[in-house]
This record gives sequence, C-alpha cells and structure tokens, in this order.
Amino acid sequence: MKDDRFALVLRGLAKSFDGKVAVGGVDLDVPAGSFYGLLGPNGAGKTTTLSMAVGLLRPDHGQAWVLGHDIWADPIQAKRLFGVLPDGVRLFDRLSGAELLAYHGLLRGMDPAVVDQRAQELLDVLALADAGQTLVVDYSAGMKKKIGLACALLHAPRLLVLDEPFEAVDPVAAALIRDILQRYVVGGGTVIFSSHVMEVVERLCSHVAILAGGVIKRVGTLADVRGERSLEDVFVEVVGGRTATGEELAWL
Amino acid sequence: MAVTAAVTAPRPVSPRHFVRLKLRILGNGFRGQTARVLLFVAGVLGGLFYAVAGFLGSALPGLADNADAALLVAALGGGVLALSWTLLPLVFFGVDETVDPSRFALLPLRRSTLVIGLLTAALIGVPAAATLIATAGLVFSAGALGGPGAALVQAVGVLLGLLFCVAVSRAVTSAFATLLRSRRTRDLAAVLLAVAAALIGPLQIALNRASTDTDWRRFLSLAEIVGWTPFGAPYTAGLEVVSGRYWAAPAKLVISAAAIVALLWWWSRTLESAMVGTASVRKTVQRTTPGAPVALLFPKALGWVRRDQFGAVLAREVRYWWRDARRRANLITFAVAALFVSAMVNFGDVIWGTEPTSDVSASPVTFALSMIFIGTLGALTLANQFGFDGTAYAADIVAGVPGRVEIAARAGAFAVYVLPLVLVIGVIVGFLIGEPGWIPMAVGTLVATFGCGLAANSMLSVVGAYALPETSNPFALNTGAGMARGLLSVVAMLASLVLAIPMLLGALFAGDAWLWLAMPIGLVYGVGAAWLGSVIVGDVLERRAPELLLTITPRR
Repeated sequence: MKDDRFALVLRGLAKSFDGKVAVGGVDLDVPAGSFYGLLGPNGAGKTTTLSMAVGLLRPDHGQAWVLGHDIWADPIQAKRLFGVLPDGVRLFDRLSGAELLAYHGLLRGMDPAVVDQRAQELLDVLALADAGQTLVVDYSAGMKKKIGLACALLHAPRLLVLDEPFEAVDPVAAALIRDILQRYVVGGGTVIFSSHVMEVVERLCSHVAILAGGVIKRVGTLADVRGERSLEDVFVEVVGGRTATGEELAWL
Repeated sequence: MAVTAAVTAPRPVSPRHFVRLKLRILGNGFRGQTARVLLFVAGVLGGLFYAVAGFLGSALPGLADNADAALLVAALGGGVLALSWTLLPLVFFGVDETVDPSRFALLPLRRSTLVIGLLTAALIGVPAAATLIATAGLVFSAGALGGPGAALVQAVGVLLGLLFCVAVSRAVTSAFATLLRSRRTRDLAAVLLAVAAALIGPLQIALNRASTDTDWRRFLSLAEIVGWTPFGAPYTAGLEVVSGRYWAAPAKLVISAAAIVALLWWWSRTLESAMVGTASVRKTVQRTTPGAPVALLFPKALGWVRRDQFGAVLAREVRYWWRDARRRANLITFAVAALFVSAMVNFGDVIWGTEPTSDVSASPVTFALSMIFIGTLGALTLANQFGFDGTAYAADIVAGVPGRVEIAARAGAFAVYVLPLVLVIGVIVGFLIGEPGWIPMAVGTLVATFGCGLAANSMLSVVGAYALPETSNPFALNTGAGMARGLLSVVAMLASLVLAIPMLLGALFAGDAWLWLAMPIGLVYGVGAAWLGSVIVGDVLERRAPELLLTITPRR
C-alpha cells in the first residue's frame, strides 16, 4: 500500500474480545493534509480502531499503513512518523511535566538540545510552564490532556493520532488546542482524532467517518457526509437510538 | 415537584450485601478466564493442604492427651498465624481489594456499616477459610482434654481469632497505605515497613529452632505470655477451661474482642482518608527543581548516562523505583528481608544465645549458600515490573523502543539500587563473621546469582505479567492475583536458582580454590547472564509487546 496521498490507510481491521466483536472490519483512507474526524457513540470501537492503527493492539484481521509503512511489518519506520495521544491510558505520571517531555523526546531519538528547546516552548504555549515542576499525577484532567498532546507533538510527526483530545478540557484550553492543530495541518501535517462532540468536528474537520457498532457507517468529506443537514441529525439517524423520553421517569 | 414528593426510609444495608457483591465480582472475574479459574483452583488446593496440615497439627495434642503441648501449639502456633496475617500482607502478599473501599465514598453509608460490611466481605476467601479450618483443630483438642464446655469456649475463641486475623491485616495495610500516600510521613512508613519485614526473619529462625529443640517444655513460659496477648489469647481460651482457670477464659475472650473492636476503629479511621484521598486534590503537591527538561529527567548520579533511548528508560526507571509508592514498598521490604536472612543464617546461633560467641564456626558453604539466596531474592521484585507501570507502558510501545533496550535499561535501573546494597551486605557479613578473606567469593557469588535473577525475572515479567489495580493502596491486589504473585515468586526463585547452579557446584565441590576462583567466574557469569537475558527476553518482548500491554491493563 505504497501511496503517498494517504497518511493513514486501514484495511479490514477487526478485533473481538472474548467472542464479542469490538471492531468488525474497518476500512479507512486518511488523505495527507486532512483534518479527519472519527465520530461515534460510546463503545463504537473508536479507541480499539485507533489502538490497532498505531500498534498498541494486535488486530485479529486486517492491516494498517502509516505513510506507506505497514505498522505491524515495519513498526520502527511507521512509528517514527506519527505521534499519539491515547485515551484512558496513564502517562508516566510520577514524572514532572518537563521530565515527561524530555523522556518522550529521548525515546524518539531526538537531540537533547532540541528536546530542551521544544519542551520549553510547548510548556509555555500550553500554559503548563508553572506546572513544569509538578508531578503529572497531580495535574487536573485538562492539564493531563495538554501534556499528553505536547508529548505527541514533540518530535514534529507527519501524522497525529488523537483519541478524544477535547474530553475534559475547558473551553480556553480547547480553543488553544484547536489553534495548535489547525496550524499543524496548515503546515502540512495530518490529524485524525476521535470525538463525540459534533460541534468541534464540524468546526475543524475536512473529512469525517462515523463509526457505530464496530463498522464505518458513513465516510467522506464533511460536506459529503453532512449534505444539507446538520452533522448531529446525520449522526443520530445513522447511530439510531432514542433522543427523547416518553411516559417513563415520572418520578423525576 | 416529582422528586420532592415521597420520601420513604431507605432499607438498611447489611453485611449480606457486601458478601453478595464480593461473590458476584469474583464470579464475573472468572467468566471466560480459564487461566484465572485454574489459578483459583490451585489456590484452593494449596489452601486446603495448609488447612488440613494445620488442623492435624492443632488436633494432635488432644489426641495425645497432652495439655502442655496443647498450650504450646495454641499459643505459639496461633500467635505465629496471627502475626503472619499482620506482617505477610505488608511484605509479600498484599491484600485482596476485590471490594475496593474507595468505591463506596459517594454512597450514604454509615462508617460502622461500611467497616463491618467490608470485614465480612474480607472473610470470603481462601486464606480466611484455610485459617478457620486449621485452627478448628484446637476445638477438637480442647474438647478431648476438657469436655464440651472447653470445646465451646475454644470454638468462640477460634472464631474471634479469625476475625482478629482478618481485621489486623486490613487495618495494618490500610494504615500503611495512608502513611505512604502522604509525603510527610512516607519516609517514616518506609522505615516501619522495613522493620516489619525484618521481623519475619527472626520469626522464621525462632520457629526452626523451636521445632528442632528437643526440650520444648522450656517454651511453655513464652507460650503462657503469648497466650495473654491478642495474638494468642483467642486460641488459648479453651485451654484455660481445661486447666480449671475458669476466670481466665472469659478474660481472654474479652481481650480478643476488645482488640478486634480497636482494630476496626483504627481501620475505619484510615479507610476514610483512603476514600477521600482518591477524590480530592492531595494537599502536598510534590515539586521538582527547575531547569532544562532533559537535565531534570536524569538524576545527578546518572549524569554520565547517554542521552538516548536506553538512557531515557534507565533514568525514568531510576526515578520510578523511588517515586512510585508501590515500587518503593517492594524494594524496601525485599532489601530488608535479604539483609536479615543473611544475618540469621550466619549468626543465628549468636543472636539466639544458644551457643557462646567464641564457638561460632562459620562455614564457607553456609556463607556461600546465604549469598546465593540473597542474590536470588534481590532480583525477585522485578518479576512483575511491567505490572507496576500499567497502561503507561503504552508510551514505550508507541515510541518503538526496541525490546532489548527496554529490558536492559530496566534491569540496569533496578541494579542501580539493589546491586550496591547486596554487595554491601556481603562485605559486612564477611567482616562480621571474621572472615574478610571470603569477601571476594561473596562478591562473585552475589553478582552471578543477581545477574541470573535479573535474567529469569525479566523473562517472567514479560510472559507472566499480571495487572495491578489502579488504587492508591500500594498493597492492593486484584482477585486471584495473590495466588499469581506467590506462584510467580516461586517460579522466579527456582528459575534463578537453576541458572545459578554453577556457583552452587563451585561452592560445594571446588574446595578452597573457590574462595579465589568465585570472584572472576562470578563476575563474568553474572554479567553474561544478565546480558544474554536482556537479548533473549528483549526479542520475546519485541514480539509480545501489545499482548503484554493487554495483560497489564486493569479491567474496568
């Protein structure tokens, strides 16, 4: 799958846990330079799909390529090219923010001087400079997201894979993260992120895929998927489920 | 106004609910987990073995119609049992936190309801059942010696004894967890933990001594004293009826009951802080010094380490062994246990005063054996090194750290702490027994066995890892993990010993030449084993990294 037009290509990714299908064959083409939103309700398989795409979880079937490199056959090359912000995964939180950034930078084989310079800049920009000497375990949830994002950005990857980057983030920090990501895409990077917040996806994304029950239900550019309607209407229609109460809950 | 309409009194929560909760969590944990079921069955069989052995041991004095022996077994056996419940969870086994106290923080439960409920739930388990069966033999003994009245009193005593054991294990681990959480007191906690670990050594030796001593009657006065402490009181109450001291039986039962109440009160105090601790911002925020990020990551002593992947993992691990309460607790207890084992093996006779100091005959073989044991024990803490990290290990996988680098750096960081300590123990013991000439042999043996231990435990940490719960209690274990941990430790010890067989053969058969040959051979052998281990294990890790991540991810 040597194709430079795509930053991330997934083919038939599938995973079951204890006989229960979590992801049932996902195909996805993320064009280079796109801002890609992976939408889905809770439990749709977003985290499982992204984990398989970055080599954290071995798929039962299927393959994943990052800028032409098979993540399972050629992991060293592939992993060099992307940065990841996982969700529901602990950071090495007994390190301070600055130490954590230094750790990630050195793991990526960067020059120590460059690590120092970029880490300082990231801490300043993300308003974490004061917290640089505090252990990450003492950070708030929003600060943990920000330091996680900084770790993913540090080595200036070509592709960013972000799992729920806006979860638990306050509006100011969210605006900041949006700005950083938009600048990154303008600079030639590719972002794929998962979310279930329609508003953010509508504002940022050039492409959207809606995942439900472990399969892709809709995929394409934002305009294609949305059509004449709002993204929320499309999402509710695709995912199904009720959005209003009836006779029940009379005791509330 | 629907919500403000009717207020009916809530139905009371009873311990029954906690028991059912625990059983349900246990049952759900086994669903589709064959390995876990097998481990549990193995645990039940192991528990049954000890239970039956204990029952026979405590019933024997009754069969033999020997009241003195009964007192000895009840007071000393029961006392050691209760002391084990106090110390072993801290040092080796942890506590089963299937029913995690912090989950109840938001429920409107009274403290007494919660504590009694949690205690009842804690009674469900293999160790508690085995303890009950083992001590039930005392009821038989009391009945055979003193009739049904004595048996009845003893039955009450045995039940109180079980409650005491479970309550003391919970109260002590909970108190230590609270101490370790706070920055102000955690160094104190570390010292206390070390003392607790240290107590196990003498205990072991005393037991061995008592069991080999032919004139066991001289321990009767000791048994009499222990019988009046909360550790021995519940188990000796029935025997007071046998000996006709009717006033003493209720007194001992009251001592036990009072101790249990006091422990539960103590537990409830620390429980509250544990429950709040997970929800609120902790008051003491730890700060590191300012400076350039990369320089900050590397501790001063490691300033010379290369700034690359290997160096980064090494530096982080060195920081983690000290900053992570769970790791530090492990490190300290094993270190101190090793110290005392060596002391006891080599100077047991002096310390226990059974032989005059001048007659101590140190033997090179005993000395070498104790060094082999310390070297092996030293690396044991590494057996679940990835479990300590939990999901944080994902960072290393995503960054594509080669398996060999990962394993070598982790072993190196661990050695930074343990190897100097182990060597110091060897040197000190060598001087203390008045044989400084044996120190080179000790160093060689220690390096060799420690190197083998690193290799064996690294392998186990990759293929035998298990998840640790994400709680603030460093002693907490998931259901069934206690068994896994015990089994893993045994396998790790055996594997390390097998790898270290050449050093054993040398010590046994090479004679005096070994005193000088051991050092060069040991250094080469130990470093070689550690290096070869990191290569082999590194390649295994390379293939299994995602699977390893899955096994150390706590199920939520």
